[in-house]
Amino acid sequence: MSVPHVLIIGAGSTGSATAHDLALRGLRVTVVERGEIASGTTGRNHCLLHSGGRYCVNDQEGAIECIEENLILRRIMPHVLEMNDGLFVALDDEDYAFKEQFLAGCAECRIPAREIQVAQALKIEPFLNPRIKAAVQVPDGVFEPWRFCVSFLATAKKNGATIRNFAEVQDLIFQGNAIAGAKIFDQRTGKTESIGADLIVNATGAWAGMVAAMAKADVPVAPTAGVMVAIGKRFNNMVINRMHKPHDGDIVVPIRNTSIIGTTSWRVTQPDAIEIPQDQIDKMIEAGQLLMPILKKGVQRGVMAVARPLIASANVDARDFSRTFEAFNHRKQGGAAGIITISGGKTTTARGMAEKVSDVVCAELGIHAECKTKTTPLISYREFYN
Amino acid sequence: MALNVTLRMFRYRPDQSARYDMFKVTVPDAANVLDAIEQAWAQHDRALMFRHACHHASCGTCAVRVNGREVLPCIVPVKKYLDGDKPLTIEPLKNFSLVGDLVVDVANFFQKQAASGLVITRPTENKLEGKPIAYDQGLDPASVETVPFNRFENCIECGICLSACPTMAASVKFFGPASLAALERELDKTTDPQRRARLLELADDEQGVWRCHSAWECTETCPQNVRPAEAIMALRRRIFAQRFGFGK
Repeated sequence: MSVPHVLIIGAGSTGSATAHDLALRGLRVTVVERGEIASGTTGRNHCLLHSGGRYCVNDQEGAIECIEENLILRRIMPHVLEMNDGLFVALDDEDYAFKEQFLAGCAECRIPAREIQVAQALKIEPFLNPRIKAAVQVPDGVFEPWRFCVSFLATAKKNGATIRNFAEVQDLIFQGNAIAGAKIFDQRTGKTESIGADLIVNATGAWAGMVAAMAKADVPVAPTAGVMVAIGKRFNNMVINRMHKPHDGDIVVPIRNTSIIGTTSWRVTQPDAIEIPQDQIDKMIEAGQLLMPILKKGVQRGVMAVARPLIASANVDARDFSRTFEAFNHRKQGGAAGIITISGGKTTTARGMAEKVSDVVCAELGIHAECKTKTTPLISYREFYN
Repeated sequence: MALNVTLRMFRYRPDQSARYDMFKVTVPDAANVLDAIEQAWAQHDRALMFRHACHHASCGTCAVRVNGREVLPCIVPVKKYLDGDKPLTIEPLKNFSLVGDLVVDVANFFQKQAASGLVITRPTENKLEGKPIAYDQGLDPASVETVPFNRFENCIECGICLSACPTMAASVKFFGPASLAALERELDKTTDPQRRARLLELADDEQGVWRCHSAWECTETCPQNVRPAEAIMALRRRIFAQRFGFGK
C-alpha cells in the first residue's frame, strides 16, 4: 500500500505541529492555509508559554497539559522562546487569601513554584506595584507565535511535507459518504484545484465549525474573543500575573521591547475581523496598571483581538471554559468519514494537540507509528525558506 | 468614534499587469493601518493577499509601504495619515520579488539571515536586575541552576531596511542591512575564532559592507531601532582591525 496522504487545513500552531508530527511518522502531508502562516488566532497571541499557574486551581486538566508541554517546548524549540519565568503576585487581602490554594494547585499539577520574599520580588522586578503582599515564581515563558509555527513547518518540510499558504479551502469533496479531498482556491494563481486526501485534519481553530459544516458535521467550538493591548516599552523581565482566578487585565507579558496586557473574554458569533469595544480596552489597561503602575507611562502600540477556539460546555461562562483540547472523529459521531477535527487548547499545548490528533489519524488509517515529537528538536524557522 | 478611510491598494498577480484598487473602509478611531487592510479584505475582497500574524511588531510579516514609506502597519495609526479625503496608498516592499498584491518573496532574505547564523535570543542587556531560576532541567528543585534573563533580538526580520536601501535597489545580491547587522550582533556574541573568521569573511565579501553607500535609510526606517548602518560601520572597523592590526 502506498503511503497515505493527509491534508491538514490551517497553519496555526495546531496545524503546524500536526504537520510536523505526521511527517515524522512517515505520512505524506500537505498543509493548506488561507493566508499567511499564523495569521489567525495563533498570531494574535498573548505569547505566553504557560506554566499552567493560571489554571492550576480552576482547570487542573488544562494546567497539567500546560506544564508538561512547557517543559517539552523548552527542549525542542529553545531558539524561539524567552525563558525568564513568571511571577504571580497578590495585590490585596483577597488575593493573599488565595495564595495557599494557588500553591496547593501548583503542587497538585506538578508546576514548580516557589514563594519568594516581597522585597526580593521587588528587587527582581522594580516596576511591580510596591504594595504587593506575596509573590510566587513559576516557569512561565514567552514565545514568538509566528516563528513558533514556522519552526514546526520548516521541520515538517524537511521531512517531506508540502506547505501551501494563501490556499483557501472552498469545499470538501465527497465520495459517497466519505470525504476524499478538498477544493482549494490558490490565491497566488487565482485558480481552483482539487487535492485528494486519504484523511483530512481540520485544524482551523476558531473557524473549525465552518470547515466541519462543509463535512455536514458539527463541532462544539465556541469562538471566545480576547483583547490585548501592546505597550511600546518593556518594564519587566518575567511574566507578571495577578494571583487570583483569571480575570480581565490580570497579566503583563513582556516580549522583546514590548509589554502585552491581557486579556478579556467574550463569546463572538464569527471569528473574522472582530470589533473591539473601547470599554474592554480601558478596563484592561486599568487592571494592568494595578500590577505595574508604570504602564501609564508607556505608549499604546496596538490593540488586537482574536477568537480562541475553546470547547463549549453547557451552563458554563466563557471565561471558565476549560483550556483543554479534543479530537473529534466525525465518522464515529455519525458524520462523514475521512475528516478529524482538533480544537480547543492553547498554543502552549499545540504539540500535545498534534500528538493526540495524529494518534487518531494513524488509528483511522490503520498505521502503527509512534509519536516522536517530544524528543525531536526543531530546525530553525529560517530553513522554511530554503 | 469611527474613521472613514479610502485605501488605494496595489494589486498584482504574476499573470496580470499591476493596478490600484480603491477600498473604502470604516475603522475604529484608534485603528492601525493593518486593521484597515484587514477590513478591506473582510468587507471587499477576500482575494486580497497580505501577510500578518502578531499585530504587535513582533513577527515582522506585515511590513508594507504607506504613501511611499516603509512601515509596520500593525503599529502605525490610520489617523496619522488622514488628510481630508486623500486615500492612503498601500504598496508592497521594494527590492523583493512580488508574489501577489502586498506579499513579497522573502526566501532570499531569510537565506541571508540564515547565513549570518544569528540566534534570535541572547542574554539580556537590559538594566533590570535579578536572576531567575531555570526549570528546564526538569522538575527536581535540586537540579535548578541560575541563569541570566534572556531576550529576543530587536530585529524582527521585517525587511523594511532592505526596501529602503538604495544599494539593495542597485543590486539584490547585496547582503543587505539586516543581515549585516545580524553579522555584527553574532560577532559580538561569539568567541570561536573560526566562526569569527567566517563571519568577517561574509562581511568583507564583495556583496558585503563595502557596497553600502552610507545612505543610512536602514537606520532611519527601522521600526525596532536596530541601527543597521551603525553595525555596518562597526563591521568595517573590525575588518580594518583584522587586516592591519589596529582599531577595535
